[in-house]
Amino acid sequence: MIRFKDVSKSFGSKKVLKNINLEFENNTITCLIGESGCGKTTILKMINRLIEPTSGTITINNKNILKQNPIKLRRSIGYVIQQTGLFPHMTIKENIEIIPKLLKIKPEKITAKTLELMNMVDLNPDEYLDRYPGELSGGQQQRVGIARAFATNPDIILMDEPFSALDPVTRSSLQDELIQIQSQYKKTIIFVTHDMDEAIKIADKIAIINEGEVIQYDTPEMILKNPINDFVKSFVGPKKIWTSPELIKVKDIMIEHPITANLEYSMFYCLNKMRMAKVDTLMVVNKDNVLKGILFASTLKGLPTKNKTAKDYMEKDFVVTHPNDSIVDLLSLIDEHRITTLPVVDKNGHLKGLITRSTLLTYMSQQFLKEDEE
Amino acid sequence: MSYLTYFSDNLSQIISLLMEHIELTFLAVAVAIVIGVPLGIFISYVKKLGKPVLALANVMQAIPSMALLGFMIPFLGIGTKPAIVMVVLYSLLPIIKNTYIGIQSINKETLEAATGIGLTKWQILTKIQIPLALPVIMGGVRISAVSAVGLMTLAAFCGAGGLGYLVYAGIRSINNAQILAGAIPACLLALFIDYLLGIVENLVTPKYSRRKEKTSFFKSPSFQKTILFFAILLIVLLFIYPLFTHKEAAKEITIGSMDFTEQEILSYMINDLIEENTDIVVNQKLSLGSSSIVLSALQRNEIDMYIDYTGTIYGSVLKHEPNSNVSEVYEISKKEMKEQYNVNILSDLNFNNTYTLAVKKETAERYNLKTISDLSVVASNLTFSPTLTFMERNDCWLGLQKAYPINFKEVIPIDGAPRYLALINGESDVIDAYSTDGLLKKYDLVVLEDDKSFFLPYQAIPLVNDELLEKYPEVIPLLEKLSTVLNDDVMRSLNYQVDEERKKPAEVAHEFLTANYLITTK
Repeated sequence: MIRFKDVSKSFGSKKVLKNINLEFENNTITCLIGESGCGKTTILKMINRLIEPTSGTITINNKNILKQNPIKLRRSIGYVIQQTGLFPHMTIKENIEIIPKLLKIKPEKITAKTLELMNMVDLNPDEYLDRYPGELSGGQQQRVGIARAFATNPDIILMDEPFSALDPVTRSSLQDELIQIQSQYKKTIIFVTHDMDEAIKIADKIAIINEGEVIQYDTPEMILKNPINDFVKSFVGPKKIWTSPELIKVKDIMIEHPITANLEYSMFYCLNKMRMAKVDTLMVVNKDNVLKGILFASTLKGLPTKNKTAKDYMEKDFVVTHPNDSIVDLLSLIDEHRITTLPVVDKNGHLKGLITRSTLLTYMSQQFLKEDEE
Repeated sequence: MSYLTYFSDNLSQIISLLMEHIELTFLAVAVAIVIGVPLGIFISYVKKLGKPVLALANVMQAIPSMALLGFMIPFLGIGTKPAIVMVVLYSLLPIIKNTYIGIQSINKETLEAATGIGLTKWQILTKIQIPLALPVIMGGVRISAVSAVGLMTLAAFCGAGGLGYLVYAGIRSINNAQILAGAIPACLLALFIDYLLGIVENLVTPKYSRRKEKTSFFKSPSFQKTILFFAILLIVLLFIYPLFTHKEAAKEITIGSMDFTEQEILSYMINDLIEENTDIVVNQKLSLGSSSIVLSALQRNEIDMYIDYTGTIYGSVLKHEPNSNVSEVYEISKKEMKEQYNVNILSDLNFNNTYTLAVKKETAERYNLKTISDLSVVASNLTFSPTLTFMERNDCWLGLQKAYPINFKEVIPIDGAPRYLALINGESDVIDAYSTDGLLKKYDLVVLEDDKSFFLPYQAIPLVNDELLEKYPEVIPLLEKLSTVLNDDVMRSLNYQVDEERKKPAEVAHEFLTANYLITTK
């Protein structure tokens, strides 16, 4: 765990960081995001002491890094910057192995690790190890940069806008690659970016920085849904959520209090309730609010209601969805089963809400309506 | 072609001077690198010092090289030291500047990445900065080395030898073949060094690409490396060779000489005389420069002996007023030199190389000139081209104007032998000359008589240090013997043989001594 406690930084009279308190959790990717000059890179560079704080303390696993040997500290932390970070006069192999060699790790071990890393970043070792950075494309160089950061097998890796100079297609594929690598290696990655899409895509947590302060520090989902103030709102952008539909959950759009009926309610009462509430379906639950069936108005027409209760006519074979399913799952479910009404239940079968075609339509039309407002 | 003949006749001398030149240049450039590169690196770290250091190096380069050399002789004496120091000072600027620029121009992000991944400052310097800056640094070294070859020709002025010796000897005696024999090898050497360092530059340039470009055989790395290998081998041999051949002689004296023909001939004569008749080994330091340089070398015991002239000692060293009394000038010089400079003057060599004025035969006939008094009458029609020294000295131009009321139409000082050319080409009508100068004979000039005995006597006198007097007294009778066969005419004709007939000074000296039975061998 990397912890910033009351960290401030001034360059001359200019305060670039104001009392930062942040905790970076282990084995997660945390994105620092903000406009240029906001202090995000300063925060990153404090972790490997390229920049020292004016006041406050920074600890890694409760050890104050300001009391550690900076060279040792840096060698225990991976560092990736834009492709200019590779040494142009060294081959790919030399670039990756520079620190392991200085650490006097056994040559066989270094070679094995280098091969592993090349495979990790999906570069053919035979083809690329003896080449020079200038011979590689931007994306390939960046893969090498990542491989170099992993060379000493550090727990922490700092990435300073590593993909920002790449074209969108390459950038996207490297982001995928990073997510994939992270799923396997589980490093503590601090990733500086100014690209919200990138942050949402790769981050476990995002810290939004503005004018030297942390404005909001939360999961991508929470930031998208609950921007803490107008700055974050404008930074995130009104439609940002639609670029990550998997973050829109069923629970966010469902009707939270659907009209229900008890198993033992008389059909007369049920029909009356539907009419009064102007709904054409009725969720039938037991006394513990566990969903047992659905009454569809369309199928009840003409059926005798006398002495009949809800459980006699309810449809017992139905499809459900869950509060944490995403809108993407929901749409495919609706598409698959050709249904218009989807009850939302938790894992114990308790009824939590309801999704209908019209709720979906209303929600999805919001983005266009909001755009019109602007 | 006379050049080719001269070249083949003097091949061994040219080669040995070339080797000397290479050695000096290499030493100077090596020292400049050892000082300049660390200094360049240093100022790229301590930026405050960048401007002053570069400004100082700039000033160094702006000082005329001749002045710098002359300035250093009093401190460093004669020989290789002042020459190397001068060339080093000149070579520093491009090396410091290029090192500074090379280090400065490295991408900041590359350096930050280096720091960020945990390289120490020293590792960044050695693994990143120097390798990346090396091509630029080598570019500076290349510029320095090429200009050092040219500059090193000045080394001959302070007795360090090198190809400049031939150039200046050639200028002095108006021998174009000799000038070319010095200049062409120097030029080729410069081009070759440029080529070699180009190869080094190429080899140290980081390979940003593994792809091999198709190159001709002469540009292939293996060929270039071979050339470089042999060049380095040559330089190493040049430095190792003297270690094996140089035997410290038990008895050894060093003779110096000034930078004109007569001095060289005398030096070779004394050399042969001593080596033939004693077991003393003689080192010659030829063409050290003007009288004052050679005198200071004698005072420092860098040389044990040289030949000077009474007038020079009396007038310009001891600063006495003009005096035409030959024996008085000699006695006063001898006494005061011992007292003031602790230098011993031996008995004179029986010829007087005094100043005189000379005109072309036609001029003499036209104006009927025989004496300087005759000249003073018609001087207002004539242009005078004296040497710079002549212009400045009390016992020359300044005194002459008082002794003879003489006013030329124009006075254009020209140094050294080129003033003879000016005279021959009609750009000038009167020049100063030394009475034993072979060029007088060569151009068939008329020497005007000093009818008022204004000029000081310039008797040739050996100056020796105490060590020679004490350890090698056997040398003295040999010099006395020499004086019995010399006189003004003899000296002039010997000078003529070198200046006009293009004989080598050593040969002329040897032949003369043999003809006069002073030495017996071949």
